[in-house]
Amino acid sequence: MNSFTYIEPAAVGEALAALAQYGDEAKLIAGGTGLINLMKQQLVQPSYLIGLRRLPLTTIAGNGELRLGALATLRALENSDLVRRQAPMLAQAIHLVATVRIRTQATIGGAVSHADPAQDTPPALLALDARVKIRSQRGEREVALDQFFTGYYETVLQPDELVTEVIVPAQPAGSSAVYLKFLPQTHDDYATVAVAARVALTGGKLSNVRVALGAAGSTPIRARAVEDALINQVPTLKTLREAAALVAGAVDPTSDFRGSSSYKRDMAVVFVRRALEQALTQAGHKVA
Amino acid sequence: MASLVSIGQAVGHVEGPAKVTGHTLYSADVILPGMAWAKCLRSSFPHARIKSINTAPARALAGVHAVVTGADLPDVRIGRFYLDIPLLARDKVRFVGEKVAAVVADTPEIAEAALRLIEVEYEELPAVFDALEAMKPGAPILHDSAPAHPKPPAGHEEVHISPPIPNVLSQVFYRHGDIKAGFAQAARIFEHVFYVPPVHQGYIEPHACAVGIRPDGKIDVWLSNKMPFVARHQLAVAFDVPDERIRVNAVSIGGDFGGKGSLMDTALCYYLASRSHRPVKMVMNYTEELMAGNPRHTGHFIFRTGVDSAGRITARYARTLFNCGAYGSFIPAHTLHGAHHAGGSYRIPNIEIESLRVYTNTVPRGHMRSPGAPQTIFAVETHMDMIAAELGMNPMDFRRLNVLSEGDVAPLGERWRHVAGKETLEAAAKAAGWGTPKGKNVGRGVAMYDRPPGANGQSTATVTVDAKGRVTLLTGAPDTGTGSYTVLGQLVAEELCVPLSQVSVVHGSTDEASWEQGPGGSRFTHTGGKAAYEACQKVRQALLELAGEHLGCTAAQVSLKAAQFSTPEGKSVSLAGLMEWAAAKGKAPVSGAGVYNPAPVDVTAFAAQIAEVEVDPETGQVTLRKLVTAHDVGTIINPLTHQGQIEGGAVQGIGQALIEHLVVRDGQVTNVHLGDYKLPTAKDIPELQTVLVPTDSGLAPHQGKAIGEHSNVSTPAAIANAVYDAVGVRLMDLPITAEKVYAGLRAKESHQ
Amino acid sequence: MKKISLRVNGQAQSREVPDNRLLIDFLRYDLALTGTKEGCSVGVCGACTVLLNGQPVSSCLTLAVMAEGAEVTTIEGLAHGDQLDPLQQAFIDYGGFQCGICTPGQIMAAKALLNSNPHPSKAEIQDWMMGNLCRCTGYYKIIESIQAAAEGKVRV
Repeated sequence: MNSFTYIEPAAVGEALAALAQYGDEAKLIAGGTGLINLMKQQLVQPSYLIGLRRLPLTTIAGNGELRLGALATLRALENSDLVRRQAPMLAQAIHLVATVRIRTQATIGGAVSHADPAQDTPPALLALDARVKIRSQRGEREVALDQFFTGYYETVLQPDELVTEVIVPAQPAGSSAVYLKFLPQTHDDYATVAVAARVALTGGKLSNVRVALGAAGSTPIRARAVEDALINQVPTLKTLREAAALVAGAVDPTSDFRGSSSYKRDMAVVFVRRALEQALTQAGHKVA
Repeated sequence: MASLVSIGQAVGHVEGPAKVTGHTLYSADVILPGMAWAKCLRSSFPHARIKSINTAPARALAGVHAVVTGADLPDVRIGRFYLDIPLLARDKVRFVGEKVAAVVADTPEIAEAALRLIEVEYEELPAVFDALEAMKPGAPILHDSAPAHPKPPAGHEEVHISPPIPNVLSQVFYRHGDIKAGFAQAARIFEHVFYVPPVHQGYIEPHACAVGIRPDGKIDVWLSNKMPFVARHQLAVAFDVPDERIRVNAVSIGGDFGGKGSLMDTALCYYLASRSHRPVKMVMNYTEELMAGNPRHTGHFIFRTGVDSAGRITARYARTLFNCGAYGSFIPAHTLHGAHHAGGSYRIPNIEIESLRVYTNTVPRGHMRSPGAPQTIFAVETHMDMIAAELGMNPMDFRRLNVLSEGDVAPLGERWRHVAGKETLEAAAKAAGWGTPKGKNVGRGVAMYDRPPGANGQSTATVTVDAKGRVTLLTGAPDTGTGSYTVLGQLVAEELCVPLSQVSVVHGSTDEASWEQGPGGSRFTHTGGKAAYEACQKVRQALLELAGEHLGCTAAQVSLKAAQFSTPEGKSVSLAGLMEWAAAKGKAPVSGAGVYNPAPVDVTAFAAQIAEVEVDPETGQVTLRKLVTAHDVGTIINPLTHQGQIEGGAVQGIGQALIEHLVVRDGQVTNVHLGDYKLPTAKDIPELQTVLVPTDSGLAPHQGKAIGEHSNVSTPAAIANAVYDAVGVRLMDLPITAEKVYAGLRAKESHQ
Repeated sequence: MKKISLRVNGQAQSREVPDNRLLIDFLRYDLALTGTKEGCSVGVCGACTVLLNGQPVSSCLTLAVMAEGAEVTTIEGLAHGDQLDPLQQAFIDYGGFQCGICTPGQIMAAKALLNSNPHPSKAEIQDWMMGNLCRCTGYYKIIESIQAAAEGKVRV
């Protein structure tokens, strides 16, 4: 790794001031599990590293709506009674991230800021309508997560901005969410494809449908075409199958060690259908 | 038979306390006073002439002690048998990752920074990556001449070194019988082609070495190498010094699996130490291991087999073509022993095996657990299943018809003593419930292998009993994790009738211990065990004579049991008491050396594995639910370490079958860290059932057989055969991925 | 350069380190605690596992400066004087290691598991230990060793 100066602010204001001062020369480091690897490979060579570990952003709170401090570790989140109760799919998805060591250090703020399109946390959050709170010296803003990711490891974050909170709204009554991670070879790997799906039933018809995919493109993907095809539909095997087929046009997976792009595309269709089926079964609705 | 006390006990590793407290010394743990660090610059081209190297900016960096290129070093070639590897590339580079320059600096960070300042000008040359392409006329040629090599052996193999085929390093023929006649007798002939890509040994410890040169010229070496005496000699030749000038110090090896038998960077490290006038340490990182270690040879296979009308094999021709990468010197022989196994564990009266090793501009290949065998046996056992299918025979019945049984001659003419092929196969079938009902998309597949205990090279052991009756066994063999020190300790405890807790096994340097080949090729329980046994016989006899002297009778009248020497009259003395007495008379310690040079062996050990899989027809995902692994074994000296070898080998076999693939594209290894080259995890293992088929035909002391390379070889074929049984998709190459099975399922659908 | 103060295996340590010093190098070279091993260098293999404030982390991905003020436990700090921790003894008795290079990481990870879940099921053990690679054992005896320690079957 290159030489750098490590700064460890004690308060958010100090961190923002450092970001404003050093701009492109600085990188934020929370858990560091993603960043340190990039630095070891010389892909990222900041002159300043702004360490966030002292900032009071670890709270997990909420009543209905979940307010997750950006520095809450993935481990804390998967073990949190609050998260398990109010967004159980999120806890399940986070549990599947890498290994227990990584989850001990990695944070939810890091997970969204790092914007790795193959990671588990972003698509799970997308399917739950999450949004992020962003602060800089210039002020504060909230961005819906489905507007947050702009490209491969790229987000709307400006160089002087810091994610301070991830907000998961109260989920629609009676909704059911599922996260499926397709790992055909080994359990410790990025997904070949991953699907987060949420459904609810209103008067026997699908509502509040969200379908998000990971490892399916340069960003986590909201499969709106699939969602639109399902809203207000009675869920049958046929409608689920037909809607799932639409995801093929929504994804743009890369060929890599986990599969060719055409295989991943075919699997996206399979796993969208399976995720929807399982979410409905979990809600007590048998699909015929 | 007298009941055994120590043999057969499932005791934990004697070196356990050090390992579980972090005190075991591995090469990368060595810290020497004044030590500097060296790092290497590696080629980013697969084949290129080196036009110039400017090291001046690197030399100017503060903290840098030396920067060296191939031109600065003597033109020494190193290797385990052939000698074709330069210390650093000279004139040209032959693979992506080849070492081009080396920096010695105060810290690894300074060394890395200095590497980035070295300017190399390359002129790219045409390159070739595929072994079949490399053999074609007009292919780019990697080496202009044959490497220095020992004379080919006399024997039934016909060896051609650098035959007139482009880029072929060695061509070896194994023949038995008359295949022309054999094929003429066949009612049907089958020919299939198979391909097995490379995998890496995956030891968790990357190669490391350290070299220090003392003022008197003595050279101290620490290296991740399991054959220190062989390494010492190779270094002595490379440095042009006597063997005794070099001391290879004792370190533990963090996983070998065949990949830690070469000097790797050690010879270079010596030159760097002498250039920079300080001790030098070199530690490969895992990226360097994956791109420039010595992984498995790629295998290309053509198998042609004739069977008579009853389904008995009459003849086989096999061409086993191994891509050895840019250099051929990482193996200690002309070709891979696995080629030998192209007949499998079956009666084949007429056979010809052609084995070629071919240079390509890819990472040089080495030895890995049963070298050449997982590749060859994947071909053999898939070919067997495919023939069975064509004949309309159950794969188990086809094997039953042809498997080696008592009295049979093996394919290359070996007449093994007590052939347990059939018993081992049947034991596996029974344990796996072969033929019992299975669910939908569930399949079972079988595959076999056999391999004799290793028998090359000398082993020695010295056993000493001190003035307090404490027993020490001195060995020159490094510990690679197999439990060898425990097994040796148990042998000594058994022979000298002392508790294992009274026996210390000490790993000595090459100055202290005597010449030892080291572990490898499933040899060590056999050869190291016999050397220890011989040493013990000498010590035992000497102790009995001392006891006789002490107790006033002849040695023959003394009986030894539970560390007590006693006479028929009932007089007795403990070992400790005897040695105290002996010490007072100037007759302590008592010591004996055992030397064992093995003769060719006349036994083999069979393995039969049956995999049970479930295939998800929508995705092609293969779930390995259960693996039965049946082994023909002699006396097991330590059931705990023996079982550990079976389990570890099986999971390596599963890795090669389902998960691992060192992906070489345009000559470059593309998965260069363990995030992309996946090794099996604790969550990836199936239910494993071990079946031991006891025989009394072992060679090691107490008729032990070998186990180290027996459970990783037939696994890929067993799983592939199970996939075919489950969903009718045939895999002719590895690994067995969901995507390949999915493609096979969709192809089947479109043909219906 | 930064001056860091932390506790390692119960002992206060204070050193001046470059900002970019990794915790694994600090432990192995600044403190000469070479029991923690470097395998893959990318946080996958787990050979470098240590406990940071009781939690398992990859020391190859952790900056030493980020361990300022923390309690670090390495394999050298597990035994109680001359007496091995039951986990350490279990690994010996049940064959939980062969070459031993991954063993410090395995034991530290297992220690963290039993600290947070004293009676894990086999599935929970596999799930937790998935991040500690072993090439020698095939994992069966690592799982048995951890089970034995959890069930109090070990005599130290």
